[in-house]
Amino acid sequence: MKKKGSKVQKQSLGIRTKQWFVDFKNQIPLQMMVLPGIIFMIVFNYIPIYGLKIAFQNYTVVDTLDSAQWVGFENFRIILSDKYFWQSVVNTLGISLLKLAIGFIAPIILAIMIYELKDGPFKKIVQTISYMPHFLSWIVLGGMLITWLSTTGMFNQILMGLGIIKEGKNILLDADKYWWIAVLSDVWKSTGWGTILYLATMAGIDPTYYEAARIDGASRLRQVWSITIPLMKTIISLNFILTISGLLNSNLDQTLVLMNTQNQAKAEVINSYVYRMGLSQGDFSYATAAGLGVSIVSVILLVIANKLTSKLNDQSVL
Amino acid sequence: MKKNVKMCAAVLTGALAVSTVLTGCGGGGKENDGKKSGELPELTSDRYELDESTPAWKLDKKENTELTWYVNADWWNTDWGTDTVTRKIKEDLNLDVKFITGDDTKLNTFFAGGEMPDIITILDASSSAANSAAKWALPLNALADKYDPYFYQVAAQDTLNWFRLDDGNTYGYPDYSNGQADYDSGQLKASTAFAIRKDIYEELGEPEMGTPEQFLDVLGQIKEKYPDVIPFGSHSMTDSAGSLEADLQNFLGVPVENEDGTWYDRNMDEDYLTWIRTLNQAYRQGYISDDNFSDDGTAYEDKIKAGKYACLFIGGTPQRSGPLQIWRSSHPDAEYIAIDGPQSTVGNAPTLAQAGLSGWMINYITKDCKDPIKAIEIFTYLISEEGGILCKYGVEGETYQINSDGLYELLPEVKDMQMNDNDAFKKTYRLSEFIVFGHDRYDYLAADKPESTLQMQEWGEGKLKSQFVIENIKPDQGTAEARSLSAIETNWYTTLTSLIRSGDDAAFDKVLEDHKQFRADNNFDAIIKIYNEKMEKNREKLAGK
Repeated sequence: MKKKGSKVQKQSLGIRTKQWFVDFKNQIPLQMMVLPGIIFMIVFNYIPIYGLKIAFQNYTVVDTLDSAQWVGFENFRIILSDKYFWQSVVNTLGISLLKLAIGFIAPIILAIMIYELKDGPFKKIVQTISYMPHFLSWIVLGGMLITWLSTTGMFNQILMGLGIIKEGKNILLDADKYWWIAVLSDVWKSTGWGTILYLATMAGIDPTYYEAARIDGASRLRQVWSITIPLMKTIISLNFILTISGLLNSNLDQTLVLMNTQNQAKAEVINSYVYRMGLSQGDFSYATAAGLGVSIVSVILLVIANKLTSKLNDQSVL
Repeated sequence: MKKNVKMCAAVLTGALAVSTVLTGCGGGGKENDGKKSGELPELTSDRYELDESTPAWKLDKKENTELTWYVNADWWNTDWGTDTVTRKIKEDLNLDVKFITGDDTKLNTFFAGGEMPDIITILDASSSAANSAAKWALPLNALADKYDPYFYQVAAQDTLNWFRLDDGNTYGYPDYSNGQADYDSGQLKASTAFAIRKDIYEELGEPEMGTPEQFLDVLGQIKEKYPDVIPFGSHSMTDSAGSLEADLQNFLGVPVENEDGTWYDRNMDEDYLTWIRTLNQAYRQGYISDDNFSDDGTAYEDKIKAGKYACLFIGGTPQRSGPLQIWRSSHPDAEYIAIDGPQSTVGNAPTLAQAGLSGWMINYITKDCKDPIKAIEIFTYLISEEGGILCKYGVEGETYQINSDGLYELLPEVKDMQMNDNDAFKKTYRLSEFIVFGHDRYDYLAADKPESTLQMQEWGEGKLKSQFVIENIKPDQGTAEARSLSAIETNWYTTLTSLIRSGDDAAFDKVLEDHKQFRADNNFDAIIKIYNEKMEKNREKLAGK
C-alpha cells in the first residue's frame, strides 16, 4: 500500500518535471528576458555571500579571502562573551519594541485621521507639516534635540514656566529617560512619512462601500472600523512583518548623535556597538561576525512574523 | 516567423547581459605576472646621471609619465593640473597623476587582488597596512640610494628612523611629522590654552587662578557678577574625554613616563586628580553646566561664537580659531585670551604637546609602481621647502608676494576669493589643500595669521615638549588587548564625566575605585606590558638604531 503510494507520487513527479520542461521550452523567449536579472542577482547578491567567510577568520586590510588566518568561531565567542554586547542587545530590543508599540500604530491612526478630513488647504497643511521632520537628517535633528533637552532648552523652559520644576536639568544626561527620548523623537520624525503608504491604499478603496454603509446607518467610526481597517489588512501585515524583521537594526545615526558618556549604558545599540568596536577600528572580521549574527536572527524573526500574520489573516503576504 | 524574431531578440538580450557581467568581472582577475618582486629597474644614463647635490626631478627629462595615486580618504580632491598647485607640480615633474580615493574596503581590494596603484597614501601609522608595508611597498632608502640621493637632504632623519620597520628599511613618509628639530626650532606653535574672556578678566582685576582655591574663588565671582555666562567650559565630551584628559595633563605637566622609563599612569596622577576634584567642586557649585557633557561639537562651537563661556580650556586652538574669531570680531574688547590658569599643585611646569613624529597621512610607493624613479622624485619634490611653500602659498607673483618683512602675502584677488568664495578658491588655487606631504614648518612665513589664536600661541611659547616615546604605543588592532583597551577607554570617558558630576566626595572616590577595578578586570596588566614594550622600541628608533 505504502509502496504503491510512493510510486504514484514518483510518477506524478515525473509528469510534473516533464510538464515543467515543456512549459519552459514554450516560454524560452520570456525566460531569456528573466535571465539577465537572475545573473545579476547571482553575481551581486549570491557570490558575495562567500565573503562571509571572513567572519570566521582574522581578516585585516592587507589580507585576501584565502590568505587570512582561520580562527573558527573565535569572533563569535568574543562577541557573545562581552557583557557590553549584551547590554546593547537589551537596549536594541527595548527601544525597538517601544518603537513598535507606538511607532507602528501612530501612522495608521494619523493616516485614518487625514483620510477622514475633507479635502482642502487644512488637510494639505497637516500632511506637509507631518512629513517635514522626515526630511531632516538625524545630524540636524539630533543637534536640535541636544539644544532642546539642555538645561536652558525648550523643554526645561516649558516645565519651569509651568512651575513643575524649579531648576533646569539636562534631560539627555539622564540615562533612564533615554529610551523614551529615542522612541518619541523617532515617532515624531517618521510618523508623517509612514502615513503615505496607508493613504495610498485607502485612496484605492471603492467609495460605494462607504455609501452602502451610510445607507445602513453606520457612523463614521463604524465605517473606519468595519471598512477602512479590514481593507488595509494586507498592507498593515506587510508593514508589520518588515518592522519585525528590522527589530535588531536600530537607528545608528540617531544613536551616534544622541549618545553621550552618561547615557551610554542605555543608549548603546547593536549597530553603534559594532560600529565602534568593529568598523572604526578596522576590524572587518568582528564586524562581519556581528552582522552575520544579526542577519540570522532577523531572518528568524521575519519567518515568525510571517507565520503569525498569515495565521491571523488566513493568507501569507510574503 | 514573428516568433523567431522575438526569440532572437530575447536570446541576444540574455547573451549581452551575460557578456557584460563576465567582462566586468574579468578586470579583477588579471594575473600579476609575478611583478610583485619589487626589483628596481636600472637607471639608464640616457635618462639622467646621478648627482647627489641636485634633486633628480631637475635632471630627469622623461616626458609624460602617468602615475596612479590612491588616497585612503573619500574627501580627497582628485583633480590634477587644473589648479595652481598641481599645475605647477605637473609642469616641474612632467607628470600626470590619476588620483583614486576610497575607504578601507577599497584599500583591501588592492591588497586582495588586482593591480596596486603606483603610490598609496593611508591615514594610520599604526594600522596593519602600515605594519606590513615590507610586503607591498618599495623601501624609500633603496629608491633614494639608487635614483635620488638628494632625498636625504630634504627628508627628516628622525622621521625616517621612526618609520623604519624591523627589516631596516623605511617604506612610508608622513605629512605633519614633527621631529625634535621642529620642536627646537621655535616655529612649532602650542595648541593648548586656558582662555578667559578679556573683559571679565580685567573687570575682576586680572586674578590668579593657579591653585584650586583661587580657581574656585574666581569662578564663584564670575557666577555672581555675570549670571548670563557659564563660568567654565571644556570641549564636547560625548564620546571622548574632550580636552580634560591628555590636554589637561600636559597643561599641568604630568610626566609621560616613570623615572625608570616605564609607562606612567597619567590618568591616576595625584596632581591631575586634584584638579579633577576641583572641577567636581566647581560643578557642585554650579560653575560648570551639565550641558558641557551633552553638547556635541557644533553646540560647543556655537557657545564660543556667542561668548557664552567665561573660562575655556582649549585643546587644539587652530581648530577653534573660526568660532573664536567670530566672537572676537563682534566683541573686540571681550576676546578670549590665554592666561596661566590652573597650575600643577606639585610644582611641575606645563609640557604642552603638539603632533609628533607619526604625523598624519603616510605615503608609500608600491611594488607595482610603473615608474619608481618618477615616484621618488615626487616625494623629494613635495618634502622639500620648494614643494612645501608651493602647497601652502602657491606660486610667487601668481598667488602670493613677499612683503617688506619677508613674509608671504596672498595677492588681493586671491585673498578676496578665499574670503568670499572658498569653494572656487579651493578649486582654482588649492592652497593649503594639497596636504599629503604638508608640514606646519612654513606657517611662520604667513603675513596674516589667525588673530584670534595669535595671543594664545604666544602664551605657549617655550612650553612645548615632545612626547615621542609614548606615540603609537597602543596594542595592535584586532588583538584581544586592543579590544580590552577600547572598553577601558570608553569606561574612562564615562568615569571622567561621572567624577566631575559626583554629588559628594564619597561618590567621587567610589566612581574612581570602580574604574580601577574595571581596568583590573579587563586585562590592564597585559596592556601595560605592551605599552612598555612599544616604548622600548620607540626609544630604539629615537636613538636611530
